[in-house]
Amino acid sequence: MKFDIYDFSVLTASIHQLLGEMMGETAVMITEMVIVGIVFLTLFAILGLALVYAERKVCAFFQQRLGPMRVGFWGTAQTVADAIKLLLKEPLMTKSADKFLFNLAPFIIIVASFMAIAAVPFALGLQAIDLDIGVFYVTAVSSIGVAGILIAGWASNNKYSLIGAMRSGAQIVSYELSVGLSLLTIVVLTGSLQFSEIIESQREGWWIFRGHIPAFIAFVIYLIAGTAETNRGPFDLAEAESELTAGFHTEYSGMKFAFFFLAEFVNMFIIAAIGATMFLGGWMPLHFGGFTAFNEVMDFIPPIFWFLGKTAFLIFMMMWFKWTFPRLRIDQLLTLEWKYLLPINLINILIMAFIVLMGWYF
Amino acid sequence: METTIFYIISAIILVFSVLTVTTTKILRAAVYLLFTLVATAAFYFMMEYNFLAAVQLTVYAGGIVVLIIFSILLTHQINLDLKKINSIKKITSGLVSLFGFILIGNIIYTHTFKATSSVIADTSVNEIGRTLLNYGDGGYILPFEVISVLLLAAMIGAIIIAKKK
Amino acid sequence: MIEGIEIQHIILVSSLMFFIGVYGFMTRKNLITMLMAIELMLNAVNINFVAFNKYLHPENMQGHFYSLFIIAIAAAEAAVAIAIIINLYRNLHSIDVEDVNNMKH
Repeated sequence: MKFDIYDFSVLTASIHQLLGEMMGETAVMITEMVIVGIVFLTLFAILGLALVYAERKVCAFFQQRLGPMRVGFWGTAQTVADAIKLLLKEPLMTKSADKFLFNLAPFIIIVASFMAIAAVPFALGLQAIDLDIGVFYVTAVSSIGVAGILIAGWASNNKYSLIGAMRSGAQIVSYELSVGLSLLTIVVLTGSLQFSEIIESQREGWWIFRGHIPAFIAFVIYLIAGTAETNRGPFDLAEAESELTAGFHTEYSGMKFAFFFLAEFVNMFIIAAIGATMFLGGWMPLHFGGFTAFNEVMDFIPPIFWFLGKTAFLIFMMMWFKWTFPRLRIDQLLTLEWKYLLPINLINILIMAFIVLMGWYF
Repeated sequence: METTIFYIISAIILVFSVLTVTTTKILRAAVYLLFTLVATAAFYFMMEYNFLAAVQLTVYAGGIVVLIIFSILLTHQINLDLKKINSIKKITSGLVSLFGFILIGNIIYTHTFKATSSVIADTSVNEIGRTLLNYGDGGYILPFEVISVLLLAAMIGAIIIAKKK
Repeated sequence: MIEGIEIQHIILVSSLMFFIGVYGFMTRKNLITMLMAIELMLNAVNINFVAFNKYLHPENMQGHFYSLFIIAIAAAEAAVAIAIIINLYRNLHSIDVEDVNNMKH
């Protein structure tokens, strides 16, 4: 990076030094963990508020409405009002529901997304943990969330919840494969699972441009499967109101419902962030090999804005899907995954491996 | 610090594995099993086998436990508790397990473990991949291929067994 | 190697876990809970392999690879076992081991 001022590791190092002067080694470690935790919790809250507002506005514009306009300027405080309303609601529970599991389920889902977001690289030096298995870690951790959904459906003691949970579970388990395989296509190119190395390898250009058609196919599959994995868009059949009321979270109210809602939006952010990192270069500015002047102009924009911009673009794409396509039936959904996406993905990886072996990419 | 974390994780593993085998609600048993398996992955992370830890999370926590929960959802009802076991059976199996544990524990305490070398192997994913697909000395290509055939056989077998007539 | 922890501690934890699994396998009557007990035992064995690898032979990776293969086999075993359990439930409406006493229903 040309400008040291954009490097967040300077900031984190100075905080570390400051804490080191004040207390012992163990205390510094615990304090830093608490700080990181609080930062992520704040990020969760902000993400929830911002994404719900964005979703409502995008939906409204697609349907030629204005959306929320009353609370605050252009309805910006609407989601805050919604959050307060959810906080004040009475927590309900069905008769003979399994109380312990009923209360546990939202937390499993939230914890899974919390663990996944820890590996997301926000900017240069701004990453909670840079594991050498970053990509694999994210797919591994996000697969735990399915258990939360299934438990929620079972513990509600409600048939709609149970069927909704089974459908969501089957959907997430199947589409996880496509997400993992499409990420693997890029891993073949980079030769590394570490996020920092993957971003570094895109200094000369993003993989979606340099990886020819296979990278583009992988990107499209990733977007489809990522949308399905977050139970969104045309794939939100678990929540098909006319058939299953609200799917696995029918019986949840108040804060626990808010947790499910928050987890959905945070998962959407994680999917978009990982997609931006793998295909669109993460926080790396738009570079073209050879155009030095152009590259230097691009370097002026701080990396965090590049990252947030690309993520916002992918999130907008996912919202676009949701409000454009009609909802799929469960059998159509599973057919799409197992008969189309998965075989295409496998062949795609084979082609990509061949291209890498021959050195045909830029 | 690491010592404390180790003891906390061990406590989680032991408490939840006891709960897994003693609870009367079947889905709770599966959830406790999930906690035990995630805590085991934490052990692997502490021993710096990151790849193995991620495999543990994907296959056990995200695969096997989800499969078990699915089968519970298909075969059980929520207000159905597991059958009570008579106390004689409980006591005898408890005694057998205790005896076995004492035997093993005794061996662990009397045996002296010696490390053969202080060189630490490279546990990066690159190295793991090269070793797994290496057909030279110390490579694992044969077990790797056998496992892949086994997984294929298990998949076909599971489909045939569970298929509706 | 975990700082400040002897290998004995890890093996004690894993062997305790193994015998908890044995206890569960002997007392449970339900096929799914028996499968869970087996998973506990396999997991305990995995911890052992990894601990021996890390503490006694850190220059090799055999224990690590054994654990990888055990995890793969556990996945295959769970898939087949659950297929059998679901088939049993379809035929007998029970997955208790004591109810499975006919060759053909």
